[in-house]
Amino acid sequence: MECVYTTEFKLMYGMLFSIRSFVSKMSPLDMKDGFLAFQTSRYKLHYYETPTGIKVVMNTDLGVGPIRDVLHHIYSALYVELVVKNPLCPLGQTVQSELFRSRLDSYVRSLSFFSARAG
Amino acid sequence: MADEALFLLLHNEMVSGVYKSAEQGEVENGRCITKLENMGFRVGQGLIERFTKDTARFKDELDIMKFICKDFWTTVFKKQIDNLRTNHQGIYVLQDNKFRLLTQMSSGKQYLEHASKYLAFTCGLIRGGLSNLGIKSIVTAEVSSMPACKFQVMIQKL
Repeated sequence: MECVYTTEFKLMYGMLFSIRSFVSKMSPLDMKDGFLAFQTSRYKLHYYETPTGIKVVMNTDLGVGPIRDVLHHIYSALYVELVVKNPLCPLGQTVQSELFRSRLDSYVRSLSFFSARAG
Repeated sequence: MADEALFLLLHNEMVSGVYKSAEQGEVENGRCITKLENMGFRVGQGLIERFTKDTARFKDELDIMKFICKDFWTTVFKKQIDNLRTNHQGIYVLQDNKFRLLTQMSSGKQYLEHASKYLAFTCGLIRGGLSNLGIKSIVTAEVSSMPACKFQVMIQKL
């Protein structure tokens, strides 16, 4: 299971990095928020990056609008509170904290556009 | 709110710093816990001087313990102790159901074995505060399920 995840993560990181630099080069005016989301015929990928380089990515249905504030909440109220401030979670490594996982899980489930059907 | 994060992060670094600079034997002996407790003791002594400079004299031991649970805890951790129990013979148990230095760690059993490291400083804090109010004591802490923890204070009659 570890192997599948790392390859997928590497591919994803490469793709996001390329899209980000593409967006910044293509933008005719000064870029404020930059790359927000992209969508295919099947899904929509939302992207949020902090000044410190932490990237929050969420894949949703096509019907979902901008969720920048949701991603921001995940970063500030969950990641910063439960991972950064946790001395036993070394930054840069996979998050092992169960508290973070369970809070994140219940937060995502509580979102208005989350449907229990989809699982 | 920034100062709360500052104290928390500084405290976490202090704990890991003490453990990193310790040698193998010391880590096992609990010398690190003692070092942290002594740091807390000195800080507690200073803090209590500052907090009580305008308050009236305390009536008795129980009054002092109540001060620790309410004003002292509120100033340091922005909340009060949730439960104080005593056997009226010098043993007090202070229970905090959501201890500020443990809330981000876990809620339950994960990381339980590391919890004592993050409680040592606060034990010293209580001991130092009491010492400058004229009470000699021994303070220990126990955690069974984060983030709730209990501090046990044993008053030593001189």
